[in-house]
Amino acid sequence: MLKTFFSNWKRRIVQIVSLGLIGEWSFYGIFRCPFAVPYIGCGNCPVIQCPGRSLWLWSWILIGGSVLVFGRAFCGWICPGGLVSEILSMGSFFKNKLKQRVSAGLAYGKYFVLTLALYFFFLAQNPRWAIPIRTGDFFKSVGLTFEHADPIWIYKTLFVLAALGLGLAVPMFWCRFLCPTGGAIEILSRFSLFGFLKNARCSDCDQCRRRCHLETRPSEINCVQCGDCKETCKPNAIEWKSPLAPWLNPDTNFGSGQAPSADRTHFL
Amino acid sequence: MEKDRLNRRAFLKTGSLALGAGLFTGAAAFAGSFTNSALQAWSCGGLAEAFQPANHAFEQKTGAAIAYTGAFAGALGKSLLSGTSQTEVFAPRVLELARKLRAQGKMRWFEPLCFTRYVVATPKGNPAGIEGIADLARDDVRTVLSPDASPPGGKASLIIMEKAGVIEKARKNAVQLGDCVQTAMTVLADGKADAAVIEQRISRLPCFAGRLEVLPIPEKFIPPAPVPFTIGMMKWAKNPDLAEAFIEYILSEKSQRFFEAAGFIHARSSEGRRLTRKYGVIDA
Repeated sequence: MLKTFFSNWKRRIVQIVSLGLIGEWSFYGIFRCPFAVPYIGCGNCPVIQCPGRSLWLWSWILIGGSVLVFGRAFCGWICPGGLVSEILSMGSFFKNKLKQRVSAGLAYGKYFVLTLALYFFFLAQNPRWAIPIRTGDFFKSVGLTFEHADPIWIYKTLFVLAALGLGLAVPMFWCRFLCPTGGAIEILSRFSLFGFLKNARCSDCDQCRRRCHLETRPSEINCVQCGDCKETCKPNAIEWKSPLAPWLNPDTNFGSGQAPSADRTHFL
Repeated sequence: MEKDRLNRRAFLKTGSLALGAGLFTGAAAFAGSFTNSALQAWSCGGLAEAFQPANHAFEQKTGAAIAYTGAFAGALGKSLLSGTSQTEVFAPRVLELARKLRAQGKMRWFEPLCFTRYVVATPKGNPAGIEGIADLARDDVRTVLSPDASPPGGKASLIIMEKAGVIEKARKNAVQLGDCVQTAMTVLADGKADAAVIEQRISRLPCFAGRLEVLPIPEKFIPPAPVPFTIGMMKWAKNPDLAEAFIEYILSEKSQRFFEAAGFIHARSSEGRRLTRKYGVIDA
């Protein structure tokens, strides 16, 4: 299991470095952010200890840039939540047992959560659902935040934790089915310059799906451009190419059994 | 005469040496006596910008470690009163809270710490030409209010506007009625509103530095409850000497600058002494 986990060691190194850079902010967003939607508009947050106050703007600019270049690579290479999900999913007992149709349906949950987040942020002016513990001893502050939070903040936090925890059963449950950031990136990744794509040699053997921790295939929904599947592809049908310039990739297959000229609705 | 003069000289010399030695050993003892000791201090979250540098200076001076928590005093006080949490030093807003903790025997004693000041804030340059709180009733003045923020930022500001007779117009002309003063101040600093009633400390936060201007509000409009802050030793203080030394340092002249820089009136300044008498901040 560990051997598989570290097989793509470059990605693990990037993930560990990212964890060091933005991991603390991720943790604050879940456990101490008093607002309905965390990680956005952090510049004025009263929680003065949160590193997001100085990180948030540049982080989002960089994430936006990375999406346009590499699609959903942020989820697979940078996101600390993604790393936690992967670790939790190492021993999932429903691995590859969810029917593809069910999985594809559940994946729309991301857009529902994203819609809710957009509503709360833009229309409800991101309400404050917890007392901000401005500064304090870490664990005590988390305890105080829970103690004095509105019930809705507690439900929201438990929902996120439960969804992350469900990764123990269904691999990457949060990332595949509920993460609103992943949902937003998935939509924008339609316009990305590069990504892993299947070429005409693809025989639909699904080896890549079985290897994938998100149980998907290159260029399909939930592909996070991790590249873990590349080595498992016997016909060498997975390539790093530009989906925006199919004429440069004449033998590229954009989906299951589709011709190179097929549309790319599978991105959503 | 000569003998007298020598005696006096010898006396002054010996006295100076003794005083110097005393001060040196005293200072050395103070500096070293709390090394590797730790103290848990809580305060109202509004004081965090003042406490953080003051705590750091105390740590440098004594070698003690201060585990500091700053959050809405109402919430912290509730935890302390209900017994779900403990701390060694507590600096709450609202005199009544300190008195309740004293009455329950959870706070051993307290001292006046500082006072907040409410002001009318405008964007830099004061584009609407606000001259005082009365102008919040002008039809052309866009206000920004936070009625659902925690009471010192929300309710107190509304009371001030009510006492000044501008609340109806201010509500009517509000571009935003929110639940977070800092979010509201972003709206103001960006020039999307013309005026708001806030605590002066908000205008001193780094994110608003140089982006807001403030005008004083007559004291008669200001409700007394949220104005005074106290600091006291709790019954859970494991090292009362350290707790007392910390409180004394926070109340000292050296710490005043931190509180004044953060927008507060320190209790031991001349204005602070007047307000101490006015609000009756006495540990009876």
